[in-house]
Amino acid sequence: MTNRKSENMQANGKSERFIVPIGPQHPALKEPEHFRFTVEGEIVTNAYVRLGYAHRGIEKATEQRNWVQTNYLLERICGICSHIHSTAYCLGVEKLAGVQVPPRALAIRTLVAELERIHSHMLWLGVAAHEAGFDTLFMYSWRDRETVMDILEQLTGNRVNYSANLLGGVKYDIDQEIADSILEGIDFLEERTRHYLEIVTTDALFLQRTRGVGVMTKTQAEVMRAVGPTARASGVTRDIRVEAPYAAYPQFPARITLATNGDVEARFVVRIEELFESHRLIREILANLPESDLRARFPRRIKPGETIIRVEAPRGELFYFIKSNGSDKPERVKVRTPTICNMSSVVKLAVGHQLADIPLILAGIDPCFSCNDRGVIITRRQNKPDLWTWEQLRQYGIGYYDGNNK
Amino acid sequence: MKFGTMISDITASLFKRPVTEKYPLVRYPVPERLRGHLRWDPEKCTGCGLCAMDCPANAIEMIVIDKKAKRFVMRYHVDRCTFCAQCVFSCRQGCLEMSNDTWELAALNKEPFNVFFGEKDDIECILAGSTAQDT
Amino acid sequence: MEIINNLIALLFFPAGLFLLVLGLAYEWVDRKLIAQFQNRIGPRWFQPLADTVKLLAKEEVVPEGVNVALFKGLPVVALAGGLTAALYVPMAGLPSTYSFQGDLIVTLYLLSLLTLCMGLAGSNTMDRFSLIGATRTLTQLFSYEAPFMLALLGPAMAARSWQISEITAYTDGRWLILTQPLGFIVALIGLMGKLELPPFDAPEAETEIVAGAMTEYSGKGLVLFHLGKSAEMVIGLTLIAAFYLGGVANPLYFILKTLALLFIIAGLQSLLARLRIDQTVGLWWRYGVLLVLVQWLILIVGQRIIL
Repeated sequence: MTNRKSENMQANGKSERFIVPIGPQHPALKEPEHFRFTVEGEIVTNAYVRLGYAHRGIEKATEQRNWVQTNYLLERICGICSHIHSTAYCLGVEKLAGVQVPPRALAIRTLVAELERIHSHMLWLGVAAHEAGFDTLFMYSWRDRETVMDILEQLTGNRVNYSANLLGGVKYDIDQEIADSILEGIDFLEERTRHYLEIVTTDALFLQRTRGVGVMTKTQAEVMRAVGPTARASGVTRDIRVEAPYAAYPQFPARITLATNGDVEARFVVRIEELFESHRLIREILANLPESDLRARFPRRIKPGETIIRVEAPRGELFYFIKSNGSDKPERVKVRTPTICNMSSVVKLAVGHQLADIPLILAGIDPCFSCNDRGVIITRRQNKPDLWTWEQLRQYGIGYYDGNNK
Repeated sequence: MKFGTMISDITASLFKRPVTEKYPLVRYPVPERLRGHLRWDPEKCTGCGLCAMDCPANAIEMIVIDKKAKRFVMRYHVDRCTFCAQCVFSCRQGCLEMSNDTWELAALNKEPFNVFFGEKDDIECILAGSTAQDT
Repeated sequence: MEIINNLIALLFFPAGLFLLVLGLAYEWVDRKLIAQFQNRIGPRWFQPLADTVKLLAKEEVVPEGVNVALFKGLPVVALAGGLTAALYVPMAGLPSTYSFQGDLIVTLYLLSLLTLCMGLAGSNTMDRFSLIGATRTLTQLFSYEAPFMLALLGPAMAARSWQISEITAYTDGRWLILTQPLGFIVALIGLMGKLELPPFDAPEAETEIVAGAMTEYSGKGLVLFHLGKSAEMVIGLTLIAAFYLGGVANPLYFILKTLALLFIIAGLQSLLARLRIDQTVGLWWRYGVLLVLVQWLILIVGQRIIL
């Protein structure tokens, strides 16, 4: 038996390396992804990540749908930040078509985006607490998250895929009754959020797990091109809402939240303080909601052209490239989600930490694997063809998996 | 640095009822804007087919029997529908709406997922046609 | 006649069926209390029993590369250790079935048998999560074991006997928690470490190593370990209640005092976040041992002064 065991370990490398595989099925990950951590005792000495288990071919699928249908497909890229994907796409297509969106529609879009940020960050708070083994915080933050879910359901009729956006406007208006219930919910959430901020910054046992763990310096964050709250926790001033205001952010400017420590605790603090900022923005938008129509007329065909659009998703910068060839279908939609920018930081930061810190470091970037999975081919030599046929792709895939199994 | 910062929460919970919703046993009121089963008003429909064209899930089929006599049948695949309400907003005549009371749509067989909207004899005509094709 | 009495003691009361049922009931109370603390409903009363029956009916998968006899034998030994320990403990307010000079030490070692078996079971398999879990289980055993034992020996010192029946006779009506508060705290938290409850659940931290040493176990093996753990919980609670909370001389006291302890344990479980294994070891050797040694010092000096 001992023999077999050492053989099994040697199969993975020259020396006796002990590799802990995490994923594609693992309780720490709610989505399929594969990580390999080489450990010595409890210390991680090497890390490796393999992406692509949940690649769904959405970018390709947009080419077979018309502009209207694509909106709903893209909304389903991510289950948590669905509205921001749809908003990014709508803003891009409206820019391409030269349609002026009514200001009230933009304000409502921004409002839903901020509500969505609250729901995403509270979800993350629970998940991260669970990864640290603090299940009570997990249960309570998810209980309070139901408040914002109820608000969203009341406003749009659905809890997750709101489909509040139409090309050229929004579907749902905000009347006084809904505005009142939003304000009431926000008051409750603000009080609870203050309590959670106190917990994550003072609880002695929890701080032992988060303070000084997974420290990413400002330089590292800049070199690894981290985005969103992960970068802001390291002191990098990067927030698209502030840098390049979109939708209604020019009228309702957002303030950036920063922390300097760059550890997991700082990521908790940044995300929780962003909640306060969201509460403030929601109150401001509700108080100064512009009066106008909700929808502008939108053409079925869009003149040829291309555009890029950047928005701040709850997890960081979300980037869309949209190209039209004059028909009623997009020629190319390219999406870059925030998780893929932050993924390299996990692999880098894991080295030197204990195995027990890995789930927290991983959760610290708020990963969304199904958003981030894609097929990328980097051609270093120029003699390879840029266009692959289906058969070539098939052969490549078979070879890839065979090579991995050996 | 404090120990047990959540003590206020857990002591309060000790004297509170759990917040867990006992859904199938207790029914809770649904929000007014909930998007449920589609409804079609045949009176206003002109059979333009915009709803079918814009549906992201291809859940709507417009079957035209006689365009001049305005005889249309709308076939609605409930199992494909993603309840996004795009058809409601695409329709210029306002003859589509999503109900907020019919939303528990799970079923053990496939029949309830295939709904025909339209005049009774038109539907029978369509059904007869499809069975004739099948056999 | 004596054989029949022995058989009853082994199979029904205090070991055997009674302990298993009580263990499942206490497990349910623990889960229900945590659920209440977390403002949710929690399992229904028969859930632990249903889990047990279901797991017993399931196929037991024996993974490749293990020593099969060891793989199947260890859960049985673990449960047997827990059940045997019950024979020396005053269960349900009745005096312990067997008794001899020094049975406290035997009981404490029998209680450690379960943890040892889990460590062995984990290192028997080739699974990485099991191996890490086994390492952590054994590391944790070495950290809490000494303070826990010393804490339970405090009342023994006060009673000047290492026989459980004599100690309980001494503690009956005397609330040693008042004279030895530090020992009580270490004993209670040591029990949480022994049962691998949060915050000491690093050996089975599901977000890191799935189920730790138990990862490869299914069906019967899993359920035997599980039952062993619930039995150990009851025995541990009984010992602490008997030693520190004025004895468990009748069944009502037994139920009330052990449930009170369970309530405290459930509260602590929901209040505290999981510790890393190095932090667990540091905590026990830095503070646990210190606390219990201070307690002993006070005890010895106190006895000198009184006598």
